[in-house]
Amino acid sequence: MTGKILAGVLGAACFALAPAMLHADPQSDLEVYQRFFKEKYPDIPFTQFADGAYALNEQMRENWEAIEEFPPYGPFVDSGERLWAAPFANGKGYADCFPDGPAMQHKFPRWDKEQGQVVTLSLALNQCRETHGEKPMKYKGSPLVDLLSYIAYQSRGKKINVVVPKDDPRAMAAYQKGKDFYFTRRGQLNFSCAHCHFKNSGMSLRTDILSTAVGQTTGWPVYRSKWGTAGTLHRRYTGCNKQVRAKPFKRESEQYRNLEYFHTHMSNGLALNGPAARK
Amino acid sequence: MKGRYAAAAQPRRLATGSLLAVALFSMVLPAGAGKADRAEFDRLHAEAEQARKKADSIGGQWRDTAKFLKQAKAAADAGELDKAMKLARRAKDEGELGYRQASSQKGNVQIPSYLK
Ligand code: HEC
Repeated sequence: MTGKILAGVLGAACFALAPAMLHADPQSDLEVYQRFFKEKYPDIPFTQFADGAYALNEQMRENWEAIEEFPPYGPFVDSGERLWAAPFANGKGYADCFPDGPAMQHKFPRWDKEQGQVVTLSLALNQCRETHGEKPMKYKGSPLVDLLSYIAYQSRGKKINVVVPKDDPRAMAAYQKGKDFYFTRRGQLNFSCAHCHFKNSGMSLRTDILSTAVGQTTGWPVYRSKWGTAGTLHRRYTGCNKQVRAKPFKRESEQYRNLEYFHTHMSNGLALNGPAARK
Repeated sequence: MKGRYAAAAQPRRLATGSLLAVALFSMVLPAGAGKADRAEFDRLHAEAEQARKKADSIGGQWRDTAKFLKQAKAAADAGELDKAMKLARRAKDEGELGYRQASSQKGNVQIPSYLK
């Protein structure tokens, strides 16, 4: 019986499908993804995709701009600034790990050849702490989200520029894993990320308008009214996995870091604009 | 302006997924007829737990499967064996479906044709 049900679910493919490309080419992926949205929304300036769903609906955009005048993430930025400046027990601080200062969000996620893995900003902050004998932060809530908010604020205007180095095949493999994750159908609803955030972008889902995949990584952390607080991109991944009734993965797991690598790469060229407010 | 995001045919796609989910739900539930005993429940619960783990091992576990297993156990402990059996059976089905879904996707991820 169960076999039949699954066949039915899989058979209800939403789109015409073609076999996956065997070898990912990040540059041509980037062009294809960005062109898709430029053609789908010829009236929307490309830079505006960085505003998520608010790029797609005038009314929502107006409400949002009103909220951004008194940004709910302000306290997180302030607290993050204090945390950034506070010395560790050994007298060192974040500035010793990141000598170019907090305006560095555009350098992440990055492929770390030595570690052989994708290093996200959150992971880099914790690695800095551990280098200096501090306990790593939990990947949820304060203080991590505060620090990320401050760094995001300082990084505003820097352009996303994720690099997949050609001289290390493991980097391409990580990108490919992120890409596979993105297009994998999951959960009881049997949806991939692409079902909601490519073809159906701009459509309403309950009270939401589905944002475009390109531009989704510019504004983190995000203060969400629904959460009543600021949260990370990986928290959002968790929510989107649960939405299709799939069990989410752990924040900063290899799966989500590879996903972030692929997902951020497709926004290359867009300016960072975090933290941001979302409903 | 409106046409930008109001393509009439598309919401149905999202609805299709939900409908299938509901269909699945209702097909699984009625299977609990007949009197169950505790030993039978324990066996089914163990099988369901195994199916869940197998799905999880390849990243295919569904959101509520573990919850159903917990609820099944609680129902059985409260003497509500029919309810317990239904929940365990549902968890087992979800485990098997999640496993088959994830293994069918492994190495066979489809890129939509409009992104070629
Ligand atoms: C069932 C539809 C659905 C699926 C599938 C889905 N999402 Fe979402 N996603 C939403 C909705 C609804 C929102 C909230 C409205 C919006 O911003 O798009 C959202 C928001 C987001 C946001 C926040 C955008 C912003 O500007 O704040 C990100 C990032 C995101 N999704 C990523 C993903 C990823 C990655 C996947 C695959 C793991 C995924 N989504 C799968 C429905 C979905």
